[in-house]
Amino acid sequence: MNESLLMLTVMAAIGLGTPLIFATVGEILTERSGILNLGVQGMMLIGAVAGFWATFTTGNLFLGVVIAIFAGAALSSIHAFLSITLRVSQIVSGLALAIFGTGLASFLGRAGGNPLVGNPSRAVFEPVFTGSITEIPLIGPLLFGQDLLVYLSWAIAAGASYYLFHTRMGLSLRAVGEDPASAESAGVNVSRIRYTHVLIGGALAGLGGAYFSLALTPTWQDDPIGAAGWIAIALVILSSWRPGRAVFAAYLFGAAERVQFTLQTLGEPWSDIPSTLLAMLPFVLAIIAMIVLTSGKRARYLGAPEALAIPYFREQR
Amino acid sequence: MTKRRFIVEPRGLVSWKVRLGVPVASVLAAFIVAGIFLFLTGVNPIEVYSEMLDAAFGSPRGISETLISATPLILTGVAAAIAFKMLVWNIGGEGQFILGAIVASGVAIWLGDGVPSILMIPIVIVAGGLGGAMWASIAAIPRVYLGTNEIITTLMLNFIALALMNFLIFGSSSPWRDPEVSTFPQGRPIPESARIPEIFFRLTGGIFIAIALAVFAWYLIGKTRWGFAVRIVGDSSDTARYAGIGVARKILTVFLLSGAYAGFAGGLFVAGPVGALDPRSLDLGLGFTGIIVAALAGLHLIAIIPVAILMGALNNAGPSLQAIGVPTATVTMLQGAILIFAVAGEFFINNRIRRPDIEPDEESEVTPVLEEVEPA
Repeated sequence: MNESLLMLTVMAAIGLGTPLIFATVGEILTERSGILNLGVQGMMLIGAVAGFWATFTTGNLFLGVVIAIFAGAALSSIHAFLSITLRVSQIVSGLALAIFGTGLASFLGRAGGNPLVGNPSRAVFEPVFTGSITEIPLIGPLLFGQDLLVYLSWAIAAGASYYLFHTRMGLSLRAVGEDPASAESAGVNVSRIRYTHVLIGGALAGLGGAYFSLALTPTWQDDPIGAAGWIAIALVILSSWRPGRAVFAAYLFGAAERVQFTLQTLGEPWSDIPSTLLAMLPFVLAIIAMIVLTSGKRARYLGAPEALAIPYFREQR
Repeated sequence: MTKRRFIVEPRGLVSWKVRLGVPVASVLAAFIVAGIFLFLTGVNPIEVYSEMLDAAFGSPRGISETLISATPLILTGVAAAIAFKMLVWNIGGEGQFILGAIVASGVAIWLGDGVPSILMIPIVIVAGGLGGAMWASIAAIPRVYLGTNEIITTLMLNFIALALMNFLIFGSSSPWRDPEVSTFPQGRPIPESARIPEIFFRLTGGIFIAIALAVFAWYLIGKTRWGFAVRIVGDSSDTARYAGIGVARKILTVFLLSGAYAGFAGGLFVAGPVGALDPRSLDLGLGFTGIIVAALAGLHLIAIIPVAILMGALNNAGPSLQAIGVPTATVTMLQGAILIFAVAGEFFINNRIRRPDIEPDEESEVTPVLEEVEPA
């Protein structure tokens, strides 16, 4: 593999990994509060369509991102109400969100007299820096060749890590996810913390979705994000609920999604491997990693929140 | 203590009116929500819904197509329900359905024309079940013996199964691919002897096989000694362990049975209306829709049958919407909304809400657990 191809692959892995970072960090914060939200795919799609629509209507990229964040959070509020207030099964509720979000996004992309589908975005995220700084070998493109949202993804991962492990609020959050009853007797409002972090998770998933429709593939299509929302849920476990590790896991999976293009560029015999088989790679990787990293005794060191997916009944302590 | 605005308390015995009324209300609520979105995009929801009703039930052919769509959903619904009852989160119905279709069509093509229908059709359906169970085992064995989270593994296996089917038809010259057609790759037709006879337009006898399999599952879980043990494991694995029930084996068996039911659906669909391993006819999200069916039916294995017909009607009505300029995705949106309200409905089935100054009637004379509900 020559150097430029390696560079192309790494850059593509960063591109494909960026939406995964947003969604994974968001889901980490949600799960740290003890709520499992399997609706990431739906929230990302709603973010993607809402952000695309806003930018398509106004031409304003910033507004697209803001609308995507609100749309993702709005959809996640349904899950918050169902799982925190009504305390129903979080697994089925999350799946409901995923199905509803998928249907609604596809519906909104095709509905109305002048549908979005097939249209290119009116504005697209471009690399922030131009000129000679991006021509420095290696670090030029890697550090200075990215768009604004890539830098934002690094900032969010770093910020979330600091928040979780070095602030008082982060401590409360982790306490709620581990042992809500004890947290509550220490004066923490369990419901409020859970609501807040489900909404934050939805907001970040919405942002991740918008990265697809406003940066990666800025033309509206029915299925703009592939399986990113489902991959993100696996990445939460593979990064053992730590935002810092999520960055590396996301890039690894970004590279795995990219592998078919890389192999095609390499020429024979690599280009002979059917793309339909290579499409399996990220999912096979996820299953093997799940079995190797999370099985048996190792699961204990992984650090899953103790109270994850368990409804909290205040009176049944 | 602040004054309570509502009191939420568990219902004692849930009457059949509540059991039936809550799901019906969930469906109506979903139609209202989807109606709002339809209205906001400039179409008349009443017109859309009457078009759907007409497409699904307005003609004998429409009814036949609705029942065709319902057939696999009965089985993927049972697949989800028997797993969820045991708190086995098999989200992989989709992949197990596809593997069922792959193995069933593979066996049919391999056996060829020589085998009489009376043998061939059962063989093909059982092959589908084995394919589904085998695919489920990839997640079930690590779940039971290593404690690997089955939600993620079954989910990922869905995408692998889909890629595998695409590989067999689009990515290779496998025995599943039709060698006669070179323009656009498609599945090789299975032998005529493997096709279930049509009884009513395109509807095959497969609907009766699906119903029989659902009733069998209901009998197995609800009426047998084995099913009793399984239900104990589902209620409390600790109790089951004290009673000397082999919990791991029960979970494994139910997981595989769940996979087998999704696989039966795949086999039945191939032997029924599809007749080949055809990705365009098989990649319809029927495994996921099965989860909606199971949830709306309250995991009741007989109630699944009418609910599957309802969901089949929606699936069947989808394409007809394009003619009036409404996206087919309206159906997915509706089904997602139905699931959201069905999940919320669980709460209202299990709990009652009353004002504090009104005493409860006799229906719930069980020790009420008082609690505050935060105003949303």
